Amino acid sequence: MYVELDERFLDFFELLLEANEDINTATIDENIRQLHEQMDYFQKENVAARRKNYLRSVKSIFRKIAKVTVRNVITLQQNIDNTFKNEPNYQIKIAKLESLDRKRLDIQRLIHHMETLLTGGEALFFSQAMDDELADILLMLRSELQISSHHLIKAQQDIINYLNQIRTQVVLVEKIRKVKYLRDQLELRAKSNFAEVLKADHSVMLEGAIQPLFKLSLDYLASDAARDVLLKVSGQQKNGIRTRRNEAEAFSDDELVQQMVDDVFVNLDEVMAHFLASGDELFPFLLHYSFHHEVGLDERLTLFCQIASLYEPKLDIREEYGRYLHYEYAKIYPL
Amino acid sequence: MNTTLPKITAKIFEYLQKGLLISSNSMDEEVRKMYFAIEEHYEDMYEYFSQINYCLERGNEYFHFSRTEPKATLEQKVTKAYYWIDVLDFFKTYDEAFGVGTRFRQEAILMEVGINVVLQNKVDGMKKHFSGKEMRREILQSMLERLKRESFIELENPDTNTYKVMTAWNYLEQLVASIQITEETEDEKPE
Repeated sequence: MYVELDERFLDFFELLLEANEDINTATIDENIRQLHEQMDYFQKENVAARRKNYLRSVKSIFRKIAKVTVRNVITLQQNIDNTFKNEPNYQIKIAKLESLDRKRLDIQRLIHHMETLLTGGEALFFSQAMDDELADILLMLRSELQISSHHLIKAQQDIINYLNQIRTQVVLVEKIRKVKYLRDQLELRAKSNFAEVLKADHSVMLEGAIQPLFKLSLDYLASDAARDVLLKVSGQQKNGIRTRRNEAEAFSDDELVQQMVDDVFVNLDEVMAHFLASGDELFPFLLHYSFHHEVGLDERLTLFCQIASLYEPKLDIREEYGRYLHYEYAKIYPL
Repeated sequence: MNTTLPKITAKIFEYLQKGLLISSNSMDEEVRKMYFAIEEHYEDMYEYFSQINYCLERGNEYFHFSRTEPKATLEQKVTKAYYWIDVLDFFKTYDEAFGVGTRFRQEAILMEVGINVVLQNKVDGMKKHFSGKEMRREILQSMLERLKRESFIELENPDTNTYKVMTAWNYLEQLVASIQITEETEDEKPE
């Protein structure tokens, strides 16, 4: 649940606890106006008791102005820092800082006004009303105003500095976007001085580091001091061999199941040897040859052709033709 | 030749010669020591390193080496610069105010990537720089590790995976800022 205080109470508490983060230059303006009025009344009043009252309120206003000015300056500085650090939107950040800069000018104007008032603006009043208490208050007021002025100079520097930083950032973000856009379009080199910029930059991080290799001197290697180095290198070499072993993963169960592949294979040399021994004609011989397994007519025809071409020098291929079914074949005998 | 160079000079050479940058806001005490040693003896060190063909460059709050004789081809440099442009663009998309001194958590970026489509595209676009990485988490992790290795960021808190951006980041920004785009393309609107 969210409870909101009535605006008037909120104002009251903020004023009482000095918790308000706004910079209210109007309060000081109002105080200065009152001050002038009270001084005026003091000078015009003839009754001593009443003059005393007016003097008392003048003193109280002086105290108040000192307090409010200092508080305003502190709040201003806090607001400047907060805005710069926490406001994520650049546009708003710039606008807020500019508005704070205007407040800074207001405070400066009020301080200036107070200073002229103290140093001669109301000389008559001071000559009439001066007492120890007032002198004390004025001394305090002067020093507070001086400190505030110094703080304001710092605030001004901060604002200028922050605004510059932000503007540089905005420009940079824009630049990065444009460069990235061109880079994605593969146009960066054509449409900018990208190549020239890189040519001129010989930074080691851009060019890449090159590890220099030094050979150890033979004199050093022959000395006792090199023993540790040699042992280290020798150790590394041994390690190198051991770690090179490349192990394959374990066989899976699937891979362990025996896979049978039937491959029909006819030993042509064996068939040829039998044929040469038989002295038969090749075609009928093949037709009736009993192989180790079932062989169809088509395969027997293929075998006929294979033998005829492979063993041609050992065969007597005649100009006579035989006929089997619709096939016509040359009669072939062993030589 | 000036012989009053501090002892740490050898370490500085080792460090810079690897292509790393020495940032003033480093959390590594050793690096900070190096930074202040260079600050104090800049002129002498510049002179000293220039004799072995290294130019000690002073950037905005960082130092680095550059060579007087180039060792890389333009193409090699272009590849590297392209990678940096992608990196800068990615982080500026994540947070416009991202820059030197920014602290960020890897998980926070990952979360933003999860809900921001533009950022998702950018991470996917980074794949080409990290072959073999497919998951966005892995790509981001590799990118951060590489930036850390290159001394642009440091891991501030390993428990929360919080990184801090070094002043060396200024180098990357400066590099992009120095690119001048020819006028006629100025009007084209990036995405």
